[in-house]
Amino acid sequence: MSRAPSPPISGDLPRDFSSREALEQLLADAFPQAEGPLSPIRGGREAADDQLARVQPGRYAKSRNHLDGAVTGLSPYIRHGVLTLAQVRNAVFQRIRKRDDGAKLINELGWRDFWQRMWLDLGDGIHDDQEDFKTGHDSGAYVRELPADVRDGTTGLACMDGFRDQLVSTGWLHNHARMWMAAWLVHWRRVHWKAGADWFLEHLLDGDPASNHLSWQWVASTFSHKPYFFNRSNLERYSEGRYCDGCPSAAQCPFEGSYEQLENQLFAPMPSIRDKGNDRNRRDRRANNRQQSKGGGNAALARPKR
Amino acid sequence: MNLQRPILWVHEEALGPANPALRAWPEASALFVFDTLWIQQQRISRKRLGFLYENALELPLTLRKGEVASEVIAFAQRHDADGVVTSTAVDPRLQRIANAIEAELPLQELEPDAFVELPRPPRLGRFSRYWREAEPVVWEGYSAAG
Repeated sequence: MSRAPSPPISGDLPRDFSSREALEQLLADAFPQAEGPLSPIRGGREAADDQLARVQPGRYAKSRNHLDGAVTGLSPYIRHGVLTLAQVRNAVFQRIRKRDDGAKLINELGWRDFWQRMWLDLGDGIHDDQEDFKTGHDSGAYVRELPADVRDGTTGLACMDGFRDQLVSTGWLHNHARMWMAAWLVHWRRVHWKAGADWFLEHLLDGDPASNHLSWQWVASTFSHKPYFFNRSNLERYSEGRYCDGCPSAAQCPFEGSYEQLENQLFAPMPSIRDKGNDRNRRDRRANNRQQSKGGGNAALARPKR
Repeated sequence: MNLQRPILWVHEEALGPANPALRAWPEASALFVFDTLWIQQQRISRKRLGFLYENALELPLTLRKGEVASEVIAFAQRHDADGVVTSTAVDPRLQRIANAIEAELPLQELEPDAFVELPRPPRLGRFSRYWREAEPVVWEGYSAAG
């Protein structure tokens, strides 16, 4: 590109910084209400290209549900158009020898495209419950404020406090950690998904309201036909035990138990859950009425398995 | 729309060299504005602002903060522009800003590169339906390349 930035005038923000600390100081001065330090994850196309060069589609397919799996870390760059989905798609095509090697990663790029299309369709409706909860609890039963111990990372649960610390200090979380944290907040702590979703957007560098809010709703069951939840063995397995070993709450872990036990503990009887299948009401914001429609129950296809 | 000397408004969804407005108008002056009201209301953390800033620094942009539409309109006046070119946004907040700009100045929105171009709008509401229609079209690009 041959263009140069316009000659600066009063009120233009600076473009030259002697160091990252200087940028941080500028941000502290210009946006005093914006809290916390910079992320170790750098912005810019150069950093994005470095990250893209490390993508391994085959390993991604095999290990993506593990916290230390070969996930791409591209979401912050894709969300802000530093890399387009089309560019990432082409990079995957160039790197694979056969279609199978890239199928899972291309599918996951499809999810990003799907969420964006949903956002165009729903607009600001992504902030509202898309459907009723399938948990046996009314929407009003969920607390609307994020509890202080969650915000501060002082719950005593090594996993959840660890996810909170990573979220707040880096602005990035593995998708599985996002789902565990969402499920814990909504189903164990009975916090409304919107409080958690908004909190995530304060911090996530990828901060994409569509995929964030609709994924929270998928976990909560207001955008799926059943709630997503997990148990200790699932978390322990996909985190390689890094939190459970030495957790101060290990003896009274709230996630301990079979899925059946936890289901009975967390959800009120709601016989219609299983009868409903994928049929449910979905808000049609344009017509402002409710219509029967088949909704996103198969979101589980792209989500970590329990 | 036949703009002769537009300025470009670059927003949070297109902070890369593939931005269609930057590509279409390589000589035009371009602006990114930090939306102070959004930052305040959503309690956006400094690390998110730093990430946006670092993305913006790798593009030839003027950076400002404030009320976005007013800043874009003032930037157009600063450059004696006859209109504004931007990339189409998905975020309704950005669409509202685009509408506010368009109320004052001619605005041209260019589509960013699509992940998949479908012959007709896909059925949404469920990923599997969308993907059934989209996946074969996405992979046509692989066959063509390989």
